[in-house]
Amino acid sequence: MADEGYNHEDETYDEEEVDETSFRAVKDAILFAIDVSSSMLEPRPSENPKKPGGVSPASAALKCAYHLMQQRIISNPRDMIGVLLYGTEASKFYDEDGDLVSYPHCYLFTDLDIPSAQEVKELRGLAEDEEEARKILQPSKEPVSMANVLFCANQIFTSKAPNFLSRRLFIVTDEDNPHADNKSLRSAATVRARDLYDLGVNIELFPISRPGHEFDTSKFYDDIIYKTSPTDGEAPAYLQPDTNEPTAKGDGISLLNSLLSSINSRSVPRRTLFSNVPLEIGPGFKISVNGYLLLKRQEPARSCYVWLGGETPQIAKGVTTQMADDTAQTVEKGDIRKAYKFGGEQVSFTTEEQQALRSFGDPVIRIIGFKPLSALPFWANLKHPSFIYPSEEDYIGSTRVFSALQQKLLKSQKLALVWFIPRKNASPVLAAMIAGEEKVDENGVQKIPPGMWIIPLPFADDVRQNPETNRIEAPDSLIDLMRQVVQQLQLPKAVYDPQKYPNPSLQWHYRILQALALDEDHPGEPEDKTIPKYRQIDKRAGEYVLAWAEELDTQIKKLGLTAATKTTLVKRGPKESSETAGSPPSKRVKVESGNIDSEVKKSFEKGTVAKLTMPTLKEFLHAHGRSSAGKKADLVDRVEQFFEQKL
Amino acid sequence: MAEKEATVYIVDVGKSMGERHHGRLVSDLEWGMQYVWDRITTTVATGRKTATIGVVALRSDDTLNELADEPSFAHISVLQNLGQVLMPDLRKLRDSLKPSHTNKGDTISAFVIAIQMIHAYCKKLKYKREIVMVTNGNGFINGEDLDHIKQKVKEDNIKLTVIGADFDDPDYGVKEEDKDPRKAANERLLQQFVEDCDGAYGTLEQAVTELEIPRVKITKSMPSFKGFLQLGDATKYETAVRIPVERYFRTYAAKPPSASSFVLRSGGEQDGDSGTATNQAPGEGDALAAVRTSRTYQITDESAPGGKVDVERDDLAKGYEYGRTAVHISQTEENITNLETFAGLEILGFIASEKYDRYLHMSNVNVIIPARADDNASLALSSFVHALFELSSFAVARLVAKENKPPLLVLLAPSIEPDFECLLEVQLPFAEDLRSYRFPPLDKVVTVSGKVVTEHRNLPNDDLQKAMDQYVDSMEMDLKDDDGDLIEGLPIEHSFSPLLHRIEAAVRYRAIHPNEPVLEPADRLTKFSHPDEELVEKTKKELEKLIAAADVKKVPPKTKGRKRQRETEKPLSGLDIDALLKQEPKRAKISARNAIPEFKQVLSLADTIETIHDAVQQMGQIIEDQIKHSLGDANYDRVIENLGTVREELQDYEEPAAYNDLIRQLKEKILSESLGGDRRELWWLIRKSKLGLIDKKASEVSTVSEEEASEFFSTS
Repeated sequence: MADEGYNHEDETYDEEEVDETSFRAVKDAILFAIDVSSSMLEPRPSENPKKPGGVSPASAALKCAYHLMQQRIISNPRDMIGVLLYGTEASKFYDEDGDLVSYPHCYLFTDLDIPSAQEVKELRGLAEDEEEARKILQPSKEPVSMANVLFCANQIFTSKAPNFLSRRLFIVTDEDNPHADNKSLRSAATVRARDLYDLGVNIELFPISRPGHEFDTSKFYDDIIYKTSPTDGEAPAYLQPDTNEPTAKGDGISLLNSLLSSINSRSVPRRTLFSNVPLEIGPGFKISVNGYLLLKRQEPARSCYVWLGGETPQIAKGVTTQMADDTAQTVEKGDIRKAYKFGGEQVSFTTEEQQALRSFGDPVIRIIGFKPLSALPFWANLKHPSFIYPSEEDYIGSTRVFSALQQKLLKSQKLALVWFIPRKNASPVLAAMIAGEEKVDENGVQKIPPGMWIIPLPFADDVRQNPETNRIEAPDSLIDLMRQVVQQLQLPKAVYDPQKYPNPSLQWHYRILQALALDEDHPGEPEDKTIPKYRQIDKRAGEYVLAWAEELDTQIKKLGLTAATKTTLVKRGPKESSETAGSPPSKRVKVESGNIDSEVKKSFEKGTVAKLTMPTLKEFLHAHGRSSAGKKADLVDRVEQFFEQKL
Repeated sequence: MAEKEATVYIVDVGKSMGERHHGRLVSDLEWGMQYVWDRITTTVATGRKTATIGVVALRSDDTLNELADEPSFAHISVLQNLGQVLMPDLRKLRDSLKPSHTNKGDTISAFVIAIQMIHAYCKKLKYKREIVMVTNGNGFINGEDLDHIKQKVKEDNIKLTVIGADFDDPDYGVKEEDKDPRKAANERLLQQFVEDCDGAYGTLEQAVTELEIPRVKITKSMPSFKGFLQLGDATKYETAVRIPVERYFRTYAAKPPSASSFVLRSGGEQDGDSGTATNQAPGEGDALAAVRTSRTYQITDESAPGGKVDVERDDLAKGYEYGRTAVHISQTEENITNLETFAGLEILGFIASEKYDRYLHMSNVNVIIPARADDNASLALSSFVHALFELSSFAVARLVAKENKPPLLVLLAPSIEPDFECLLEVQLPFAEDLRSYRFPPLDKVVTVSGKVVTEHRNLPNDDLQKAMDQYVDSMEMDLKDDDGDLIEGLPIEHSFSPLLHRIEAAVRYRAIHPNEPVLEPADRLTKFSHPDEELVEKTKKELEKLIAAADVKKVPPKTKGRKRQRETEKPLSGLDIDALLKQEPKRAKISARNAIPEFKQVLSLADTIETIHDAVQQMGQIIEDQIKHSLGDANYDRVIENLGTVREELQDYEEPAAYNDLIRQLKEKILSESLGGDRRELWWLIRKSKLGLIDKKASEVSTVSEEEASEFFSTS
């Protein structure tokens, strides 16, 4: 059911904080400004002889913009993105200007807005260098005025993204000195850059070095870019212009990759989960920190209702009104009382009482002591953590104290036990505060920032009893063989890297939506990186698995154990651990006798699946990860489908 | 299904129970009832029909029981027969459990009545039977024929609990001085009686104190997945392993009881005013009417008044948003966006446990155990658990709990306890779940020019680091549990959800005391809200040293919102843009197209107050024009941004009056509809954005009081 029946009660503090002190909307707008000069359009030949053909810097920039647009539809569905090309022969701004060209050689390719499916398609066309698009990517003969480009961007932000908390201009260029010989044009540009700063627009530069020429920001861009972000005063210089980081260079592919990684790292504006919460290190000793949500499960947007009565489908907005059951009159929020079911009646509290019950004091992160990191059990977890980083807003000197604490906890492998109230009226939790080290990727771009993590601990109420099991401890001989299997199948560098695993169902959801929105063909097979690499597993660990399976059989016989009597399931291969004791451990020999799989398969081949019993069908489906719910006809259908797919 | 219960409470209401002893503020009866009410309301809160309760008053004025004819059963009243207790029963009990005017009534006879009640109600059925007595032991006790009664208690398998006010308990440390010899004898008799029945005998002080320790509900878990732990693809490769397993919660957040919304029934009298509830008092719940939510759907229609029209729910199709494009999905294709998956727990590979960052845990934790009664599975899984343990490895696996559910990536860790082995499972983040917000390093400072600095005001110096090291080492905790024993590791099993238990306790308390204010949370719930006092005392010196070395200064609230230092308003090169701006002649007048930057720049360059006032005036004109020419709400966001900027700047420049004049004029023009018709929606937006008058709290030089500022928003 679309969004009906959604329970608003007991909303957790997970929601991103809405800054109530600001009149600005908590939204982000990114405008790409991509330089379209002849050097930007020159393909950079690939250095890899196996993959000939090159990518031009402009095309790499467009691919990045397209990638970011797609990504933000999923991750930030309310935020805006636009693409402005500059240095083009053609000019395009809002229609109302008619013949009058207000910004020569500025071409607003995608207007700043929440992207539409059509715009995604057009940008993809441009990025993939389609014929039609090629006409647009014509560099102009005369140089473009940077002051004009910046003011054009200013006007786009002013009219399209008024009152946004975060507005960012991403400039991608390989020209480090646009007005080398024209002092007045240069100073006009610096004034326009100041305008953008005062408007609250952050300029982020993605410089590209030309072959044989390193991009030098001191020539021009150091006058354009500011030391701090106009909207995030806390963001220090180092974060703003990435002039200290290696600029994108090299051949087409590596240029694209480094540009992608650099843009990705800045794809989302920093938003706080809670701000200026005191971190109380000891009684009477506080510093201030901000909290961020660095890890949060990204879910597909909920379904909505679409009105099909017009020319184009339109989203219908739901409006909820609350009314009294007895009079059907609309109820004001202030009149609502909360009541709990008790003894067949309602026990009620006034709004003030309800609030008082939820209040456990002002927001705080209070350290109540320290413990070795090893005291934190693997199982003591309920949800994702919060990340904290110091802020100088309330207490000058917070950063150095936080740094000392973070370094001490890292060095001594300790955790702080904290009493944690993230915001007013939030339910307090006991949490483990642990230090996290900075991590960077191969391009030197930060993957995980340095700081501390707050991991809410379960209360006694949240801990479940272990279920009963019949414990049979494996003998060393069996463990030794399993150890060999495990050793064969380490992930690269023996670490889990989230970046390598996009969420397959989330991606598929939006992939299908995109196809539907653009009237494209069904995309066919989904890409799913979470599916194990079966061939490799077989190749690398196969032998060891067989040895282990043989030993398992031996041990079962030796210990006189039996498999569950109710499951007759015996797999075709010799590795099925629920195999009946005594089946011969034969290498690569199918053990088909008495096997439910073969029984069902035979029935299928004879066309007599419907004659199988319900328990057999259920067990077969369950063993293959299929739902075993429903009537017999459904189960038969499903079994037949199973074999048809295999053919 | 929880076991059926039958509990009879025997409450001594004798005259002496109404007295206060040993300087207590409450009478013995009130004291004892704290215990009784807590137990009864806890049972009522479960809402279970099979959790039955009976209540018997001992030493009551009246006599009301089945054996009333016999004189030895006088002054014993059955106030509540066994059955589910609901609110009306509670109200009745609340009124009838009052101290009587007599001290007559035999304690043992009350037991007989209670045994009789249980016997009659439960017959031979399976019940958890219990009798709870609360008394001060001052009454008359007839010790005859006790053996017969003891035998009956044992036969019926009744648990006996006797709690007494000021009963001596050397274990707990209660000894009543100058005890009345009769009471002493009664205590001895009761203790012997209870012990012979294998029951519990205790002093009231302990029972009431222990009420503070919250009771944790035991929830039986159901498996959330039954299937196979797989290594490799069994349909393609002979070398695949499949181990039948089940998955259960290890942790799962217990939710506080949820409240529903109500309003006072229209025309109904104020509840809670009826003084101490009497029999005729309507229940609190009676005066409430449920709140219903209704939902209507609207679409944008430029031609309609207000720009929106209602549409029928039936004319709507299910769909999704792709960017700002609406994509509808026909009913037959409802699941088209779902990824097809099959149930299973499939291993991707293994990682080293010391290279795993604990903060990647994304969810609650589950246990994976071998399928029940399957020795093969137990043996196979055990070898896997031990192999992981010996190699200090974790497994990364793909979990699909049910067909067509979205796949999850999970981490599997070995867990070996003396009598339990399992895999622990927790969800891992996907690429999309990791947000890359970047922050500067904490152990060095990189300057604008790219230089790495290790001595900086944002970095700890050696003194501070040393003081911190010593403080952290000295604050190492040794936690003790409620019995004073040392807690291993973290106090997870000894901490209780403050919100959950506070709300549950408040509901129970309110049911019995409808007219009393809500209570502060029990101390036990906030036990971990502050560091242990002893520890604080012990580490006082280290903390003092740390505070001195840290030299942290609190920022006075006034200067918080102040304009940032001029230094930061320069570009990286440090170029003086202000000088350039001064040379630009055309900027004498603020242009509507570039209003915000130009306004800020005029202010930053202003030499005279007139320049500021003039700039504000110009902004006022620009804002009014924007409102006038706004099609519907098209320009409202820009108006808000302009107003907000003017307000912020003038607050920083300590010129609140200039803004207040501007917003006063604007309000008048909006409400008099002289800015292009009805602009009330804009006023509502201004109010929501808190862009009203700048009051004294926001700016010291303002002459507007807080009341005036809030009054200003009203439109009447």
